[in-house]
Amino acid sequence: MSDYFVFGRRSTVRASFLVGLLPVIAFALLPAVAVLVISLTDVRALPYLPVHWVGIENYQSFFSAAHLGYNVNALKNTFIFAFLVTVLQNVLALLIAVLLNQRLRGTTFYRSVVFLPTILGVTVIGLIWSLMFNPTASPGAAIWRWFGASSAFFGDPNITLYLVIFVQVWAGIGVAVVIYLAGLQAIPAELYEVASIDGANSWQKLRRITYPLLGPSVTANMLLCIVGSLQSYQLIYVLTGPNNDATQVLSLAIFTQGFGGSASGGAAQSQGYAAAISIIQFIMVGVVSLIVLAYLRRRQADL
Amino acid sequence: MPTKKYQVVLAPRSIRVLTASLLGVALFTGCSSGQSTTPGAQTPASSPKGDLNVVVSSATGSDAGFQAVNKAFAAKYPGVNIKFTAIPNENYAAAHSSRLSAGSIDVGLAGPQELPSYVPASNEGDDARLADAGGLVDLTSQDFMKNFTPTVLDAIKYKGKQYTVPTGLSYYSGVYYNKTIFEKYGLKIPTTWSEFMTVCQTLKSKGVVPLGISGKDSAGVNMLGVVQDLYPNKQDKVDLAKGLWDKSIKLTDGKQLEVLTKVKSLYDLAEPNFAGVSYNTMTAGFVKGQFAMMSDGTWNQTTIDSAGGSSFKYGYFPLPSSDNAADNALLGGKVELTLAVPSNSKNIGTAMAYLSFFSQPENYKLFLKEAGFAPSQPNMETTPFFTSIAAYTKTFQPAWDTIWVANAKAGAKAQFPFNYSGIAPLGSLTPAQAAAASQADWASGF
Repeated sequence: MSDYFVFGRRSTVRASFLVGLLPVIAFALLPAVAVLVISLTDVRALPYLPVHWVGIENYQSFFSAAHLGYNVNALKNTFIFAFLVTVLQNVLALLIAVLLNQRLRGTTFYRSVVFLPTILGVTVIGLIWSLMFNPTASPGAAIWRWFGASSAFFGDPNITLYLVIFVQVWAGIGVAVVIYLAGLQAIPAELYEVASIDGANSWQKLRRITYPLLGPSVTANMLLCIVGSLQSYQLIYVLTGPNNDATQVLSLAIFTQGFGGSASGGAAQSQGYAAAISIIQFIMVGVVSLIVLAYLRRRQADL
Repeated sequence: MPTKKYQVVLAPRSIRVLTASLLGVALFTGCSSGQSTTPGAQTPASSPKGDLNVVVSSATGSDAGFQAVNKAFAAKYPGVNIKFTAIPNENYAAAHSSRLSAGSIDVGLAGPQELPSYVPASNEGDDARLADAGGLVDLTSQDFMKNFTPTVLDAIKYKGKQYTVPTGLSYYSGVYYNKTIFEKYGLKIPTTWSEFMTVCQTLKSKGVVPLGISGKDSAGVNMLGVVQDLYPNKQDKVDLAKGLWDKSIKLTDGKQLEVLTKVKSLYDLAEPNFAGVSYNTMTAGFVKGQFAMMSDGTWNQTTIDSAGGSSFKYGYFPLPSSDNAADNALLGGKVELTLAVPSNSKNIGTAMAYLSFFSQPENYKLFLKEAGFAPSQPNMETTPFFTSIAAYTKTFQPAWDTIWVANAKAGAKAQFPFNYSGIAPLGSLTPAQAAAASQADWASGF
C-alpha cells in the first residue's frame, strides 16, 4: 500500500506545514528561547540603557537568602492555589456535567448559565467579586452577618487565598463542564441500562461506568487546569493587588519584578531577573505536567 | 513505493537550537544599542505641529488639570494634535515602559532621584538610569524653567541638571478631619500624640470610629505620617537612612520600633475590617461621616470637595506622632507629577513648546485650579483649602519616601523599610516581630 498525501505530493505537505509552523516559531519558540537568553542578562525595560551579560547571577539572586523567603512563600501559595483549584474545579465540573447530561427541562438554559462566567473578562470578574466581598457593605458581608461574624475578606491574610480560589473555580468551571459533557455524551447509553438491570445505584454507575470511560476528558481537563492554575495571576492581581504576601504567586512575582507592579510597590529588579523567575516557573510547570500526564496516561491505558 | 527524492538533511537538533538562540541574542542586543543620544540642547518649536503624545498617571484632579491646559494649547496652536493618555496607577509602570521603548511618548512623567553617597549605584532607579544614559532631554538652560520656585527646582535637580518640570506639591503626612463631628463633641485639633490618643478615645467612647484607613491599597501613608514627626527635619531622615545603610542603627532599635508600635495604635483606631477596604471606599466612608478622621494626602481634596458638596465641612492637620508639639508642626510632602521629554520622542520641538506653554503662569493657573496641588511657582493664588493649611506648609519638608532608597538586594520586607504591612491585621505579626522580620530582610542584603 503506497503512502497517500493530500494534493499528491510530499513537498506540498511539507511546504504548507512550514507556512503554518513559521508563525508558531516566530511567536512562541523564538520568544521562549529569547527569555532564556534574557535571563542571563540584566536588561531593564527602558531604551538607551546598556545591557550586560551576567550569567547565572539572576538565578543566584532568586535563591539568595534575601529573596528566598519571599520566593518560597510564592511557591507555596502557587502550589496550594493550583492543587485546590484543580481538585475543586474538576470534581464540581464532573458533578455538574452529570446533572446537565440528563434530559431535564431547561438544560440548555442551565448550560448557558454555567458557561457564562467564562466569557466575562478577568477585570469584570474581579470587579464583580470585589463588590460582592466589600467588607463595609456587600452581599458577602450580609451573609457573614447571618453567622454573627464580619470579615475583611480580601484584606484578611488568612482567608484571602481561599476566596481567590473560590472565584477562580467559579470563573473556570464553564470550560471544564463543557469538556466533561462532551465526554459524557460519548458514553453509550446501553451501558447504563445494563447497569440498571444489574441493580446498580447512581453512585455506583458514576464510579464504575462514567468515571473510567471519561479518561480522555479527565486527562484533558486536569492538564489544562494544572498548567493554567500554576501560571495564573490575572485574577489574583485584580482582586488583591500585586503586593499582597498572602496571595503572592510565582507568576505574579514575575509580573511585579518585570513591570514594577504598582506605583508604590516592588523594588523592581531588572527584567532579566523576571525572566529568570519565568524560566524557573517553566521548569516547575514542565515537571509537574509531565508527572501528571504520565500518571493519567497510564490510568487511561489500564482500562 | 516510498519515494526518496525529498530527504532533507537537517542539522542536528542541538545546533538548530543554538543558532536560534544566537539569532535571538543578536536581534536583541541590536535592538538595545540601536539608539543614539540626541546631541545638544533642544529648543521649543516656534510653530508647534504634528502629533503630541502626553502620557501621565491618572488621578481625578490632575487629569482635569491637564485637560484644561491641553484645551488651551490646542486653541493656541491648531496645527498640533494632542493625544492625552492618563493611565491608572496599577498599570502605569508596565504601560509607561512599553510606550517609552516604542518611542511613543512625547511628554511623560519622570522622577530621576540622585543616590546618596552611601548607596551603591546598583540601586539606581529606572528614571535615574535613563537620565544617565541620555534618555531625557536636558531642560536646565530653558527659559521657562525660571518660572518655578527655586527651592522646588532644587528638590528635583539630578546631578546638577534639570530634567523635569514640577507640576505642583502634595502633602500626605496628615489626616483629614470631619469638622462637624469634632464640633459636636467639643474636640480640638491635637498637637501631640497623647492629645491625639485622647481625642480618639473620646470618639470611641461616643461610638464614633476615630480613623479611616484603606488597608487594601494605601495603608503606607499611615507609616509615612508617623515617620514624619518622629524624625522631624530632613537631616533627621537623612541620618536615619544613612544609619540603616551603614548598619549603625537597626530597625528593631528604639525609635524605629516606635514607628511600628504607633502604626499599630493607628490600626487599632481604624474602622472594622479596614484591611479589605479600598481607597475609594475609604474616601466615600469619610464623606458619609462613617469615621471622624482619614489618613490621606492633599491630592484627594478635590474629590472630597465634589463628593461632599458645600455642606460637608472638613479640614487637614499633621498626624502628631511625637509628644513634642514643635516636632508635629509641619507637613511632609513631595513634588508631585514631574513632566519630562524622552530623547526618543519623535516631536521634541512640540513637546518642549508644550512644556513652555504649561510653565507660563496664566496656563499653570488653569492646571492648578483643577489639580488640587500646592503651587510650584511663586506668587500663585492658593485655594481656600491650601490657605487653611498654610501654617503647616510654610517650610517644605520632604516626606520619608522621597529620601529613602531601598536596597534592591535586600528582602521584600525591608522595602520601606518599616514593615507596616506585616502588622496584624494587614499581616499576622506584632510590631516587634514585624520589626525583626524587616531587620532580618534588610541585613540579608549586604
